[in-house]
Amino acid sequence: MQTVLSAENIKVQFGGVIAVNNVSLTLETGQVLGLIGPNGAGKSTLFNAITGFAPVSTGKVTFLGRDVTHEPAYMRTRYGMGRTFQTERPYEEMTVLENVLVAAFLKNAHRKDAERVALASLDRVGLLDRAHQLSSDLNLARLRRLELAKALALEPKVLFLDEIMAGLNPPALKEMIELVRTLTATGMAVVMVEHIMEAIIQLADHTIVLASGNKIAEGTATDVINDENVIEAYLGTD
Amino acid sequence: MNKHILILVGLFVAAALYPMTPAAFITVGISVLLFTGWATSWNLLGGWAGQLSLGHASFVGLGAYFVAIGSSQFGLAPWWSVLLAMLVAAVMALIWGKLTFGLRGPYFALSTIAIAEILRLIAINEGWLTGGASGVFIDTLPEPMGIDLFDKTTQYYLALIYAALTIAVTIYISTRKFGYELKAVRDNEEAAMAAGINPTVIKLKAFVLSGMLTALGGGIYGVFLSFIEPHIIFNLLFSVQIALTVIIGGRGTIWGPAVGAALLVISGEIFRTTFAQANMLLYGVLILVVILALPRGLVGEYAHRLIRKKYANRA
Repeated sequence: MQTVLSAENIKVQFGGVIAVNNVSLTLETGQVLGLIGPNGAGKSTLFNAITGFAPVSTGKVTFLGRDVTHEPAYMRTRYGMGRTFQTERPYEEMTVLENVLVAAFLKNAHRKDAERVALASLDRVGLLDRAHQLSSDLNLARLRRLELAKALALEPKVLFLDEIMAGLNPPALKEMIELVRTLTATGMAVVMVEHIMEAIIQLADHTIVLASGNKIAEGTATDVINDENVIEAYLGTD
Repeated sequence: MNKHILILVGLFVAAALYPMTPAAFITVGISVLLFTGWATSWNLLGGWAGQLSLGHASFVGLGAYFVAIGSSQFGLAPWWSVLLAMLVAAVMALIWGKLTFGLRGPYFALSTIAIAEILRLIAINEGWLTGGASGVFIDTLPEPMGIDLFDKTTQYYLALIYAALTIAVTIYISTRKFGYELKAVRDNEEAAMAAGINPTVIKLKAFVLSGMLTALGGGIYGVFLSFIEPHIIFNLLFSVQIALTVIIGGRGTIWGPAVGAALLVISGEIFRTTFAQANMLLYGVLILVVILALPRGLVGEYAHRLIRKKYANRA
């Protein structure tokens, strides 16, 4: 096991609002880290700060031994971070295959190689039969899988999944959980922001609970869901 | 082999034979070809990278002025002048892009208008170099291997080679990494960054390439006009016309600019000779109809429907 990612005392402040307050985390190869918390807890902001889509006010992000705290998002991608977006961001005027091709070009300069990687990614998420359709014609569940295919085509070392399971029906959820499991088996580390507890319980090696920007609990999934602070954060007190 | 290359070769041969037909309108042909080249160059930035420029007349003017001044003031052959113009265009695009690509929304488009205006004022006020408001005249040109550059048929072939070159560049880019980077930046900048793409660098590359190719066409235009006036060449309407050619033909497509150029130049010519007073009205109506009915442009809409149809047939 090797530490691939560490975030130390991350604080993200937008004007007077502190969205993330002194949160630290570490991640090792093949590990799945779950980030949970009620709406507005700062999960997505923390996620964005680590991947370079939100500015870090104080603190330090180290990725594969490199200080990336102030590196732009595209550099972090080149170092090996791959992410999905909670609100899908397809390239709407491109086909499904072309969408993934853009990502596959990162590590494959030649079209043939890139196309092979893109097709393999589409196959993995079960979108191969949609490859030549326009991405703007996909429904929501498929757009979400397209997001994942795009991230996979980057061949990342750490995969960041932002609520990838939301809105999936039970069989699709099961498939997605299975898919993430096969990825971690290859050594890929995963950080997932998720509301679906079933996915967290089945996948996460370690879970961090955020509320109002603060880390209020961490540990195994079963530990944290029985934690009093966590129950209070979700349901409020009497 | 790429089918677009075959189409390009076919069209090139057909266009090369055109001057030999008895009823050939050479000057209209030159206009179509130059607009095809400028519009195709504009398309790299405006269509593929999605950055609306309303100042491409700047690059045309740069090419035309360099050729004219080079010939009249320094006795420089037009091919050297035009190379110099392309270099200056590249530097200009680089600086201009660096200053403005950080801006979001319509600010880049607005800044492009300003650039043409600045160049126009320079051309008017630096009379010692540019001939001022009255313009600059090309009276002699070298005759490489006995070729008369003032001859309209020669100019037609120069314009043809130019138009074909810009389309060839577009075809080359279209299936490669750079082409997808351009489209990714256009469609969603954040998603592009998540794919490891630096949007500013991609936009700068597109701008430099687009500016250089436009300036090349400007050089040929300078020879064609042989008389350059600042308020005509650095004209906002001229920039708008280049942009419109692509918008009507199809942004981000290979053939859209050529189709737009043929449609606008030829219909403009017909309207002007047959309807005299009403010609601008008809021209305006044509543009409006295309934009309302086919928002992706003629070729853009066709390609879009083709993809959908193909998929429907397969499924």
